[in-house]
Amino acid sequence: MKLLLLLIMALWFFLVAGPAGAVAQLTPVPLQSVQADFVQEKHLKILTHPIISTGTFAFQRPQSLRWEYARPIRSILLMHDGEVKKFVEQDGRLVEDKGMQFGAMQVVLAEISNWLDGRFTENKMFQVARPTDRTILLTPKSQELAGVISRIELTLADQQGNLDGITIFEGPDSYTRMRFSKRVLNRKIPVAVFTVQ
Amino acid sequence: MKNVPVILLVLLFFLSGCAAEKRMQLPGLIRTIDDGQQKIACADIFPQGKWQFVHSIEFTMKDGAGPPVIGVTTIDGSTIGCALVTVEGLTLFEAVYRGKESVEIRRAIPPFDKPGFARGLIGDIRAIFQPPSGTVLTGQSADAAPVCRYKDVRGGVVDVERTADDCWQINGYSAELLQRSIIGRSCRKKGSGNIPEYLELKTYGRNGYTLKMTLIRADNVP
Repeated sequence: MKLLLLLIMALWFFLVAGPAGAVAQLTPVPLQSVQADFVQEKHLKILTHPIISTGTFAFQRPQSLRWEYARPIRSILLMHDGEVKKFVEQDGRLVEDKGMQFGAMQVVLAEISNWLDGRFTENKMFQVARPTDRTILLTPKSQELAGVISRIELTLADQQGNLDGITIFEGPDSYTRMRFSKRVLNRKIPVAVFTVQ
Repeated sequence: MKNVPVILLVLLFFLSGCAAEKRMQLPGLIRTIDDGQQKIACADIFPQGKWQFVHSIEFTMKDGAGPPVIGVTTIDGSTIGCALVTVEGLTLFEAVYRGKESVEIRRAIPPFDKPGFARGLIGDIRAIFQPPSGTVLTGQSADAAPVCRYKDVRGGVVDVERTADDCWQINGYSAELLQRSIIGRSCRKKGSGNIPEYLELKTYGRNGYTLKMTLIRADNVP
């Protein structure tokens, strides 16, 4: 579960930090908030058709997040005021997943501010490379994380650093691709979004 | 005498507890005949050809339940592929079974790397998606439902029963005691299969568990 959370949080902070971080290399622009829809494709060697998941997320600086899957299983991750909660639909109702371990989340949260401030290369968990103008490649530094994720590719939509997608590679035939749409930047988000199921 | 109702209540509590733990014994079949049509009907509940299933799976044991995961099952003849994926897309477990007890584990993140987990999972998947082995006897249950009874050489018995809602139930017995039951609900005809929208698998005994599987997607792969 710890590594799973690490993955979720890694995804999250790359997503929110991607635009700001990449822009920061040109002209630092502080990101206040971002909201977007996402479509997630899970590919495995045994799958003929990928598993498609859809959802939305909202992030408000400094550390408020709502990451919500609508399909195929409804799940909500809420983070606000240093408190982290996850709810998953079970038997038709949302139930808090109290088995979560938050240690990994706290580690990643500590790094988010670096990203939002444009300190893109200061990353404790991943080696960062930029093979092309529109691709950022992250490879895990620790063996523990490398056993779960072999690398992460961030694809930028444009020179302004807007993030087009993320691909997380677990192995040669297993990866998760996320694409973002309907991105809204720097609009004030009500606190209730981060505290209420 | 004043304490008699209390004692009775306590007794009732323990007796009901015992009753909950009591496992069903292999029931007798009535009107056993060699019915070829019934055998075909029983075999038809198992998907034939190449399939890919995606389920939402809720796992429950006596001491609690885990968060739901996405379960992937692929069937291609005797080859079965399976994977457990978190809602967030992380692969927890992936394996391929090619028959004759040969299992290739491609990925197993703790605690899914424990000895016996892969074998148990493959056993459950085979029980759901593959016809039982052994000789087949056809007959009826006590409530007159048509039953196919498969007996293997090791004494294991599997009853496949068509249910009133045109779905099915599978009960597996060992030493004449119920070991595993699978109930399919809301079956829908798709291609060559009669696919349940919902499956509930229960295993019995000290480490018994329940899997509640809600179908997300079923594809008859060409």
